[in-house]
Amino acid sequence: MRTGLRTVGVIAMVLLAAACGADPNAGTAGATGGTQGDAGSSDVITIGAALSLTGIQAPLDEPGLRGAQLAVKHLNEQGGVLGKEIKLVNLDGKSDPVTVGNNAVQLISEGAKAIIAPCDFDFGSPASREAQSAGLVGISTCASSPLYNSDNLGDKQFTLSMWNTTMGAAGAEWAYTKQGWKTAYVVTDTFIDYTKSLSKYFIETYKHLGGQVLGEDTYTQGDQNFSAQLQRLKTLPQQPEVIFVSSYMPDLALIVREIRSAGITAPIMGGDSYDDPELPKALGDRFGDDIYYATHSYLSDQAGSQVAEFLGAYQKEHGKEPDTAMVTTGYDVVMVLADAMKRAGSTDGAAVAKAMENNEFSLLTGKLTWSEAAKGHEPDKEAAMVSVKDGKTAFEGWFRPGWAPQP
Amino acid sequence: MQTFLQFILNALSLGSIYALMALGLVIVFGILRLVNFAYGELIMVAGYAWFALQGPGWPWVLLAVGAVIAAGVVSVLTERVAFRPVRSDSLNAMLVTSFAVSTLLQNSALLLVSPRARAVEVPSVLNNSIEFGGLRLGVNDLVTIVVCGAVLLALGALLRRTTLGIALRAAADDFRMLRLLGVRADKVIATAFAISGVLAGVVGVLWITRIGAVTPTVGAAPLLIALIAVVVGGMNGLAGSIVGGYLLGTLTVGLQLFLPQEVLAFRDAFIFAVVIIVLVLRPQGLVKGRYSAERVA
Repeated sequence: MRTGLRTVGVIAMVLLAAACGADPNAGTAGATGGTQGDAGSSDVITIGAALSLTGIQAPLDEPGLRGAQLAVKHLNEQGGVLGKEIKLVNLDGKSDPVTVGNNAVQLISEGAKAIIAPCDFDFGSPASREAQSAGLVGISTCASSPLYNSDNLGDKQFTLSMWNTTMGAAGAEWAYTKQGWKTAYVVTDTFIDYTKSLSKYFIETYKHLGGQVLGEDTYTQGDQNFSAQLQRLKTLPQQPEVIFVSSYMPDLALIVREIRSAGITAPIMGGDSYDDPELPKALGDRFGDDIYYATHSYLSDQAGSQVAEFLGAYQKEHGKEPDTAMVTTGYDVVMVLADAMKRAGSTDGAAVAKAMENNEFSLLTGKLTWSEAAKGHEPDKEAAMVSVKDGKTAFEGWFRPGWAPQP
Repeated sequence: MQTFLQFILNALSLGSIYALMALGLVIVFGILRLVNFAYGELIMVAGYAWFALQGPGWPWVLLAVGAVIAAGVVSVLTERVAFRPVRSDSLNAMLVTSFAVSTLLQNSALLLVSPRARAVEVPSVLNNSIEFGGLRLGVNDLVTIVVCGAVLLALGALLRRTTLGIALRAAADDFRMLRLLGVRADKVIATAFAISGVLAGVVGVLWITRIGAVTPTVGAAPLLIALIAVVVGGMNGLAGSIVGGYLLGTLTVGLQLFLPQEVLAFRDAFIFAVVIIVLVLRPQGLVKGRYSAERVA
């Protein structure tokens, strides 16, 4: 009995050590020491990150951190920023808003000059609020909620992602104007805010353009049963020309498969949650066809020469291709911060924030301009349109919608 | 009429898998009075076992059997390593242990595989569907109904016809008496965990091949469903959990289909409202269990 208990304890401790203990080390790229002492010294610029490596936020944050580490390595190989070495320190946010906020406080007290916040409004905003009250720039890797604005969080806070307004609008305009699909059916996963607001902005734009929404339905992540929705869809008096499914993995694969196996061949569209290499894999070439989505980037030289360079560097560092395009968001965040620090000529929070406004940044995730703080730091950004055909993804081009709804 | 028949088929398919989930949970509860919160992770283990085995292109029956065995083995291991040492302590200790096991398994998958979803290769035949008289039944639904029926029958036979089964049923009624009669408690409990694990494995295979992907948190939804089904159906007996499972499946499909579009987003609220009404009217659940003694270590 004692042995049993001890075994559990040992396993638990090993796993805990791996889960928590390793993170600060894993997050430290650049400087060799890694002690608190050199964080505040004059030849190092510390960028703090509170990205979550465990919990439900980990699928989005962990790849982002990998990208950020690569960007730091790249910058330091080129001599750093403002003649100083960049150091990245990540403390695991554990998919807990309170922990994320506390981590930001700790990172700031250790001398961080900017804060990278998790890829979500709920999980990312605590870090941004702490950064704001310390007078530092905070930037989320890919929070797409329009709530991630400077009115809400402060004049030094940004998100790298296009807002859901743009993402929904890009999908709607691309479908209606470019593809000529005049009728749509919308299925919304009601489990999280992201999917609900994405559907809302898609519908708003689609109707604004003159498209007709034949019907709406809901799904709840975890239901694993789409039969009732399917029955409703199949008995519509008029079949839609495009089906917008706002959900995410793993259930997204189930929804698409169910729709396709019921013999419905209309194109299926969605947002950046489709940007998961496991989706085409889970669908295979039988069901993975005629699917389109608006996302941040596409991992191929078709999306620009710098993407090809990034892929080469990633391959060299990790020995394999990135498993998700989300790695580019972390890379871009560090590059934007470094670029803004160079333009500002200092690491002062207010100066860096100013340099981030009204400047066009050319990134792996497309061209990006933030509006000034008074206008909410709204990101004006291109969306990468990607398709799935015969079980494989293909790049359809960058697309900037001409009109986007108000949040 | 056709809509109604289609609804019956869909409800039958979902209800079957819910019933199986509930059964796996209640079989341990019956003996230890423990709601095993690590039950969902056994379903996850089955999914990752399938994912790990799918490389060399083995026939999928082999993958399914491998996944079921993996879930069964892990279930027995958790009993041996985690639950047995605290069994003589309070029920709270067991409950907390089950949370610990759940977190441990989930984070192991997160660290060893990936926090992101991993695709599992679903046998192509499962995605076909049969059409007859305007009705549509997916092969995976058919397989679900058949497998669940077979498992229910097999479990029934095991519990009624074998000595082990009789010991299990006796343990659920009065565990102290059973031990006084010289039946080894460890063996009975380990068997209950093994059956629970195998049921979780079967559910896992059916569930994961429906989704086509596995994540570390995939077991959360089935655990919740099983828990609700068990509470509604009645916690003191296997029949209750089966009734609860089918009721919950029928409710889910029915409300999704017949609720007007405007209130569809609140479907779960309606489901829980029905659950509350049932519990107010019948606090002991729909099916009243037989006499049952207090839990003893």
